[in-house]
Amino acid sequence: MIHFSLAREQLIKPLQLVSGVVEKRQTLPVLSNVLLEVEATELLLTGTDLEVELVGRVTLSEPAEAGAITVPAKKFLDIVRSLPDDSIITVKQDSERVIVSSGRSKFTLTSLPAVEFPSIEKSSDHEEYSIPQAQFGHLINATSFAMAQQDVRYYLNGMSLELSPGMVRTVATDGHRLAMSSRQVEGLNTAEKKQVIVPRKGILELNRLLTGGEETIQIYLGSTHLRATTSDFSFTTKLVDGKFPDYERVIPRGGDKEVVGDRQTLKSIFSRAAILSNEKYRGVRLILSSGNLIVKANNPEQEEAEVTVEVDYEGPELEVGFNVNYLLDVLNVISGEQVKFILSDANSSALITDFDDDATAFVVMPMRL
Amino acid sequence: MTVRKIEVLSPRLANQIAAGEVVERPASVVKELVENCLDAGATRIDIDIEQGGTKLIRVRDNGRGIGKDDLPLALARHATSKVYSLDELEALTSLGFRGEALASVASVSRLTLTSKPADQDTAWQVNAQGRDMAVDLTPAAHIDGTTVEVRDLFFNTPARRKFLRTEKTEFNHLEEVVKRQALSRFDVGFSLTHNGRTIHAHRPATTMAEQQRRIAQLLSPDFMSNALVIETERAGLKMTGWVGLPTFSRSTADMQYFFVNGRVVRDKVIAHAVKQAYRDVLYHGRQPCFVLYLELDNTGVDVNVHPTKHEVRFRDQRLVHDFLFSQLHRALAEYRPDANTPVAEQISRPQVPQATGIEAGEFAGQQALHMQPAASSYASAPREPLPVAEQVAFYEQVIQPSTATAQASAPLPETQSSDVPPLGFAVAQLHGIYILSQSEQGLIVVDMHAAHERITYERMKQQYDNQSIQAQPLLVPLTLSLSEKEADAAESFSSLLQGFGFEVDRTGPESLTIRQVPVFLHQSNASALVQSVLADFIEHETSDAILAHRNEILSTMACHGSVRANRSLTIPEMNALLRDMERTERSGQCNHGRPTWTQLTMKELDKLFLRGR
Repeated sequence: MIHFSLAREQLIKPLQLVSGVVEKRQTLPVLSNVLLEVEATELLLTGTDLEVELVGRVTLSEPAEAGAITVPAKKFLDIVRSLPDDSIITVKQDSERVIVSSGRSKFTLTSLPAVEFPSIEKSSDHEEYSIPQAQFGHLINATSFAMAQQDVRYYLNGMSLELSPGMVRTVATDGHRLAMSSRQVEGLNTAEKKQVIVPRKGILELNRLLTGGEETIQIYLGSTHLRATTSDFSFTTKLVDGKFPDYERVIPRGGDKEVVGDRQTLKSIFSRAAILSNEKYRGVRLILSSGNLIVKANNPEQEEAEVTVEVDYEGPELEVGFNVNYLLDVLNVISGEQVKFILSDANSSALITDFDDDATAFVVMPMRL
Repeated sequence: MTVRKIEVLSPRLANQIAAGEVVERPASVVKELVENCLDAGATRIDIDIEQGGTKLIRVRDNGRGIGKDDLPLALARHATSKVYSLDELEALTSLGFRGEALASVASVSRLTLTSKPADQDTAWQVNAQGRDMAVDLTPAAHIDGTTVEVRDLFFNTPARRKFLRTEKTEFNHLEEVVKRQALSRFDVGFSLTHNGRTIHAHRPATTMAEQQRRIAQLLSPDFMSNALVIETERAGLKMTGWVGLPTFSRSTADMQYFFVNGRVVRDKVIAHAVKQAYRDVLYHGRQPCFVLYLELDNTGVDVNVHPTKHEVRFRDQRLVHDFLFSQLHRALAEYRPDANTPVAEQISRPQVPQATGIEAGEFAGQQALHMQPAASSYASAPREPLPVAEQVAFYEQVIQPSTATAQASAPLPETQSSDVPPLGFAVAQLHGIYILSQSEQGLIVVDMHAAHERITYERMKQQYDNQSIQAQPLLVPLTLSLSEKEADAAESFSSLLQGFGFEVDRTGPESLTIRQVPVFLHQSNASALVQSVLADFIEHETSDAILAHRNEILSTMACHGSVRANRSLTIPEMNALLRDMERTERSGQCNHGRPTWTQLTMKELDKLFLRGR
């Protein structure tokens, strides 16, 4: 019979992350539960939706009784969250119930046996890589916004993760825009190039685990699964079985019109003009002339916004339409001060990069307005 | 297996085989016989039925009759007076033309035909017997015209007889046939008796009121009080008839009558056009009601498609489709909540007075005065809620130009009845959901959300229609695998697709690549839509699937952008909504086809309280 106690602040963070994986509505009752396991002085918390599994590890300072049981994730988290900061929480199994107590509060929760809790099958053959968390976090942050959501082309509902000797690259696209980011990773030992598609939910959950510090994250790549471990967590996700589009072909080459502008300024003028763009499809017109960029927007009520800004551009006049949300998404993830747009004509896609960092690039399709 | 020799069929067997196609049940016999009467120029047709038509079907007319010499031929197969040459077949004016009906019916029943043309002194009777269908001519007593008596239908084909339903069911089918004929020819009197009991008796109807009375009797009185009169002509096509308001719908398609040159027709093209016209106003899963007559040049329509002639083929299918759609669509859109719609009032609601103040002309003038400023000001008003006082002032300013509506902001004066708009002036709001309004006729109850939803929706549609097509090229093109036929259609209709903002390339015999989609679709499943559009192209040569999809998106936006229940409105706000409804198309129904308003007249209210009895 499981029995342990620990401080609230030790429990709340891993519990929050693990419950994040648990889907709100379930047909299989055990999936709305979180699995608690105690072995010697270690507490493991596991949440799963059968596609993604997250295991959090907590070291117990007080002696505990080993055992395993599942309790409703949402209720358990709400209880822990509502307790005072410095409280000590005791969890104890009492036949089919679990009693959570702290100070003078006591909660009796229903439970389901641990054997019913599904675990994602761990494939035995896998390759192991080690990547600094900060770098991996950057790769995900720079591209995750472009992942498709519930697209019929299921392989777009995720992120392509590509590992080649000394280099990691992430690519995401929803068919309208694309984001790509690469990072040199020293000592990445892979014999050949490997490309997998990590599903959307896996990426979002994985991103929440990354601390951004100097620590590394261990990536285990199997044929159908990806597992990532840090000191506190072990995360497993299924991979999307499909072929990611050939992104190299999509990246425009030979754009001859180069525009450089201040990121913050551009961001604010785009959002300003966007107020009067169509609520549904957010079209804005960019009109370029030497040294100048005019952003125009119209809505169905025939109201019009026109904002002019100075940019670094030499070349012929060019007018091109874009979905302003796509531009804003890109400007939001770029961290440098200056951004560079490379355009060729009104019908070709634009390539946007951080002025000082070519390793991350964004492609946005124009809109015919 | 023994080798069987080839032999020519006996005439009776050949006719029986033909009867299989045409004579399915007693109702089909009645259809053929009544059509013969009409082709003979009869103005009065009496139909007597016994035992659902299995025992006796007797059809008597006062038409031209058949001469003695022609009588033997009347029962022969492929013999007719209606068509002599191919040219005549291509421009048919008669209902029948195949020359098979009487022979077929005679081969599966005991049929006697008695006829006397006006210029012949005596009547003659004929019947056909035996396997060669030898005719037997005898003198008889008969007034001018023809009587066909069909006894013991299917007596010699037990298999067919077994398929007959109960007497009641068979009679219902038969009655439906008579109904259709009675609807198709108002100038002909009909009577129908069953087992000696009179079921229908209609005198020839020449005036509009008489015609409407006949329809009310045949269908339902409710239909007539909820129908719009259609009368329109364009490009050689003429359509008249009655269409039910969207609020008067049925769960099955049993009140749909369409006549092409007097012929009852159930056609895919027509059904599609009507369905399309009612889209957007009909509640989900309901069927519209209509009685419509399409007249066009006989050369423009081919009726020789199916033995029972239920299907026709139009020479210019797309023209007919577009004509039907646009005319019906307009008629439904133009229906406004004023009492002056050409509904068949005289039958159901004779008490409705011809209110002077809401004569179409006067009302239209008011509309023109401030339509533009009002529309745009209202559009922006709800977005930024002003303080109430300002809002009232704002509305007053907006409605200033019109004297009629300016009174709305005053605390309900004793208005002269001639100044009351169709939906009246708001009195109060009920539970934050309904607006109560006092109109000339009585009380109007308006579902605030439903009404506002429709107004927002129509306004959005108008705005989007005025914009040019905007398209989003795809970074990763969509590949689509479909049948070769569909891919061919995509190629031949590629300019139409382009007009909607699609760019589609054929990449193989059975695959397409979509390179560009209309912007409003960028988050929808474009491939499924393209496929349904192509299916429409193949079937109807035109498609509104894209527009329908766009409207669906707008409809959702309109729903979210409209006032919700429990939002309390001031009297001027409510009046503004009522005025908006009066000038909005299709404002009688919300986007989902639910009614937006209803009326309780003073008469009905008086009835509730037993006043004036």
